[in-house]
This record gives sequence, C-alpha cells and structure tokens, in this order.
Amino acid sequence: MATVHTPSAPRRRRLATAGFHLGAGTLAVLWLLPIALVLVTSVRSFDDIAAHGLGSRPHSFTLGNFAQAWVDGGQQRALINSLLVTVPTVLVTLALAAMAAFALSRYELPFRRSLLLLMLGGNLLPPQILLIPVSKLSELMGVYDTLPALIGVQIGFGVGFYVFVLHGFMRAIPPEIQQAAVVDGAGPWQIFWRIILPLTRPALAALSALSFTWIFNDLLWAITVLRSDTKMPITAALIGLQGQYVSMWNVIAAGSVIAAAPTVAVFLRFQRHFVAGLNLGAVK
Amino acid sequence: MTNHQTSRRRFLAGLGAAGTAALLSGCVTSGSSGKSASGGAVTLQSNLSAPQAKAAMEDLVAAYVKKGTGEVSLNTVAAETFRTQLPTYLTSANPPDVYTWYPGSVADAYARKDLLLDLGEVWESPELAGYSKALNSLCTATSGKKVFVPTTSYWWGMFYRKSHFAKWGVSEPKSWDDFLDLCDKLKSKGISPIGLGAGGNTAWVASAWFDYLNIRINGADYHRGLLAGEHRFDDPEVRKVFDRWQEVLPYFDPDGTAVAFQDASTSMLNGRSGMMLIGTFFADAAPKDALDDIDFFRFPVIDPKVPLAEEAPTDGYFAGARTGRHDEVIDLMRYLGTAEAQEIYIKGSSGTVLPCHPDAGDAGTPLVVKGRAHIEEAAEITQFFNRDSSDALQPTADNALTRFIAEPKSIGSILTTWQRDAEKIWNA
Repeated sequence: MATVHTPSAPRRRRLATAGFHLGAGTLAVLWLLPIALVLVTSVRSFDDIAAHGLGSRPHSFTLGNFAQAWVDGGQQRALINSLLVTVPTVLVTLALAAMAAFALSRYELPFRRSLLLLMLGGNLLPPQILLIPVSKLSELMGVYDTLPALIGVQIGFGVGFYVFVLHGFMRAIPPEIQQAAVVDGAGPWQIFWRIILPLTRPALAALSALSFTWIFNDLLWAITVLRSDTKMPITAALIGLQGQYVSMWNVIAAGSVIAAAPTVAVFLRFQRHFVAGLNLGAVK
Repeated sequence: MTNHQTSRRRFLAGLGAAGTAALLSGCVTSGSSGKSASGGAVTLQSNLSAPQAKAAMEDLVAAYVKKGTGEVSLNTVAAETFRTQLPTYLTSANPPDVYTWYPGSVADAYARKDLLLDLGEVWESPELAGYSKALNSLCTATSGKKVFVPTTSYWWGMFYRKSHFAKWGVSEPKSWDDFLDLCDKLKSKGISPIGLGAGGNTAWVASAWFDYLNIRINGADYHRGLLAGEHRFDDPEVRKVFDRWQEVLPYFDPDGTAVAFQDASTSMLNGRSGMMLIGTFFADAAPKDALDDIDFFRFPVIDPKVPLAEEAPTDGYFAGARTGRHDEVIDLMRYLGTAEAQEIYIKGSSGTVLPCHPDAGDAGTPLVVKGRAHIEEAAEITQFFNRDSSDALQPTADNALTRFIAEPKSIGSILTTWQRDAEKIWNA
C-alpha cells in the first residue's frame, strides 16, 4: 500500500515530524503535570485547599507557605544538615572510589576480580536487611545520633558502586598512555593524579551529580542512625511537616520545592557531564 | 622506583593518620554521649510534628522549665518515623526518657517486655487522684504497674455541617431506623449520605465503622476480647456486625475507598457527602470559617440493652525503663498530669481535644463542650482498633474491610481470611 500511494517524501517527513512533536509534547506535559501541581499547591493557602480540595482551581496566592516550611518546619537547619552530610560524603566517596578503581583497573592485583564482584554483590544487597545491624553498630561505636555516623554509612554503601563504574571507565584508557608516563619516570601516585584522574573527569562529574542526588534524597539511613530533630536532614524534616492525621499540603508542597532546589541546581550545573556520563562503561 | 616507594609509604601514613583521627573523634563523641545518660535535661521524644501541635509542645516544655524543677529537651520527629523507630528507641543503649504514645494494649505490649518505667509514684501524687477509673485501668499494665500518664483524648462521632442539614431539611437521628431514613432522604436528593475516606493511606478509617457496629451490637467487652484473640472473627457475633453494615452500605460514598480521609472531609464540608464517622482531628483539615458550622451526633444506638460505649482514644506519655534520670522523669510526668499542663497544651494546639484531668478546662467551644458531655455519658470507652489491639493487627482489618466494601456478598470468605491472618499475628 505504501508503495502505491506514496505521498511525496518531504510531506511524509513533515507528517512524521509533526507526529513526533505532538507525541513527545504530550509526554512532556504529562511528565511535568505533577511538578506543576506541586508548584501551584505550594502557593495556595490552606483554607483554599481545605475548602475546595487539592485538585481544584486555585483561589488564592501566598508565599507564606515557604516561610512556614523554612521556619516552623525547621527546614533551614535541616538543609544545612543535609549539605553537611552530602558534600563531604560525595568528596570522600569519589576520592576513595577513584583510588580503588585505579588500582583495580591499572595493576595486576591478586583477587581483583573477586574484589570487584564483592563490591557489586554488596550493591545488590537490599539496604533494609542492614538497618538494625547498622543502628546497633553505630550505637556500639558511640556515634549513634551524630552526623559523622550518617556520613560513614553513606560512604560505606556508596563506594562499591562508584568503584565498579569508575573501574569500567579507567580500564578503557589505553595502556600506552600509562606506559609512556612510566618511561618518563612517573610513579603510581603521579600516574593517578596527573594522567588517569584528568581523563576520568567526565565520569567523576556524572557520578558526583548522581551521588549528590542519591545522598541528598536519602531518608532511610538518616532515620536509622539519627534521632534528634536538630540533626535530621531535609528529607526527614519534609515528612515531619505531615501531621499525625491531617497534612497541610500547601506547606508540604512548599517544603518539597525547597528540598528539591539543591539537587536541581547540581543537576543543571553538571547536566552536560551527566548526559555524557550515562553511557559510562557501555563501550568497553 | 624509589619515588614510587616513598609516595606509597607517604600515602599509607596519611591513611593511618586519617584513621587515627577518625577513631579519636569516635572516642570523644562516645565519651560525651555516655556522660549525658544520667543527670541533665530529660529528653522528651515527641511525634507531634504538625506545626501547630509542635508549637503547643514547645509552650508546654517552656512552662515546665520555667517552673525550675527540671530541664527538658524536646525532640520532635515525624509521626511515621516515630512509629517505626519506637522499638529501636526503647531498646537503644542511650534511649530518650519520655515518649508521646498510646495507653492500653499498645503500652502494655512494651510493658510486658520490661521496656517501660514504673510510674506508680506519679499516680500516687494528688494531681492524678481525680482521674477516672477507666483511665486508671487503661494505664495499668498486666503486671499491675502503672506505666502511662494520660493527658488528652479526642472522640469519634458522626460529623456534619449544621448549615447543610438545615438546607436539606434533615435533623440528627436518634435510632438506627432514623439513621437509615436520614440516609434515604439524603440519597433521594442526590447526595452521597455517608463519606468514608478509606482510600490513599488512610484505610484504617474504615475500622471506625467496624468498631462502632461491634460495640453497639456486641458491646465493648466482647469487642476488646475479640481484638485480644479471645473470640474469632468468623464467629456469628461478628457476622451480625456485617449484616448491619450491609444495611447502610448502599448509602456509602462510592469514592469511599478511593480517596483519603482528608479529601473525604473536604467533600463532606462542600456538601457532596452528608456526614462522616470520623475523629475530631479532622477539624484541622477544615477551613477556619467552617469550624463553627461543624456539629456531630452519636453513632446511633442499635441495641439499647448493650451498655453505651464510645470511641475516645487517649494520648499521653510513657517513659523508657532504661532511663538514667529516674527522679527527673517522675517529676516531669507529675507535671504532665496536672490540669495546668493539659490546659497549656490544649490552648496551643487546635483545641479539639479533651483534657484527661477532670478539673482541667477545655477549649470551651460548643463542639468541645458537647463532646465532653458525649464522652461522660458513655458507660464504656474504647480506644480504636489499632490501639485496642496492635499496629500489626490493623492491616488485617484494613484488608478485610476494604474487601467487604467492594464485595459485601463474599463476607463469609472475607471473615475466614481475616481470622487466619489475625491468628498469625496473635501467635507471633
């Protein structure tokens, strides 16, 4: 049939383009709808939502919800806590993972395959079964309810995955580069610092954006090792905005916008690397 | 090659230094946290995280500290976090001292594991002498020890808007038949007579209907026995509860199991549904201008021979047995039991709760005055399904009741499944 009534090629292409834009546009709108709902809810007053329902057309506009989430909801303190945990964790995890990946990928270490498999296996372990051991262990070590405990846990659980990804990336760097460096008299530290690490930058940038998002958005480990409200990160403060029975959706929505802002900022900053990094290790 | 060796050595030395520093800082923190276990401020772990309730708790703590007999550090965590972490808190090496929670079987479950502090001294103080006998037994564990200090309670009833009832020309029903007539009238006007709100994550709201029908038909004693595993869910008595429920089921809002209770209360306030069996906490979800228009009536009496029982869940505090500040905790608990403390909390909170102290004033609104009388008329008080049993049993009720509302015909198999699921929990 297509061969009989072939419309002219440009026309067909135009139709295909229109179809693509229509389909992709619809998908994008569907995708953005929940976000739009949160943004709209965050500027409505509680009485408006209580009287007309969450799904109704907004009848009010207020920015007071943000102030309420920030001050009464304790989000200011919580945001500082989150950053205090996230930034050191990302830096330390990536530093450790890069060094481990360098050693495992560039040198013939004994048992390196088993080590890598162990790290991968650790990642497949569901964190839920480790909640009680982690909580008891942190108590035993006397760090329960302190931010360093949370940083330690996050590093411990993150490092395996990053080593695995970085290992795949570093392995793809041609050995000739390293050999040339050795001929010029560089030691392993110099090779790592001056040659391998700069070449791994795209991977590191993508991973830092990813790990920042993961650690910043984590709630499970935070409530496992922390107990005081003054030490809780932003995610815990966010569920704290929910009452026992009744939730003020407008304040929660405003709190969500505040809580999402740092990850969005990081994502925008690292966007280029992030997209480039998605095919990490895909081509070996 | 020498270059290689030194750099590695230097690197290892650096690692060692970092490790030692981490260890040292670990010692420092453990040392300081160990010291705070006795003396110092009493830690009060609170699940009242909603902004208004949190502010009320802060007022309460400030008032206690001002008295000068002790220090308290209030620690508010999200209600959901609190619920899941409470067993961890109670068993941890350096636990918080005082907790907000529920009396009755929930507290007793912890008391039987020796996790709760004996509060006998608190109950001997004159402040708590006037507490009702029902509260006395509610706060006594199986061992005979007092383990709980009750402070406030709220009540359940059929809530509606006065202006809507006037507009529709209907009034509060007195008996079960009146109630069915009322539902019929509302339905003929195109209104869903009964809102439910057992959708979303509030499936537990449906248990109020089970509780009320059971305490109206079989009585509060049978109800408590059933939840404790002394009777079976597939008994003919329980079957009677569902036979009654089937009479009103056609009048339930078809969205009943689709929307959460907060949306269902918006529907009721907007007049899309007529009334709702709900606790007073729902008033927090109402716009301020609707508050004066809200009224309630008693869940209709079905069998007048059954002693009148009402659901009025009590909230309050217990203390962990491992506390290192025994005397300070007792002093704080004594204060929490006073009329003054309860009035401070009620003033700061949304004000729809009733104080447990008989001499304490309530918020004084017509709704609360009516609620206080409503509770005082009752011969028996029940808490709520999960509070009279356990949080573990609640999901079995949620499953059974949601299924019943969807397919009332298969009640036989639903009750058999419920009994089987409940046995797993009772025997666990």
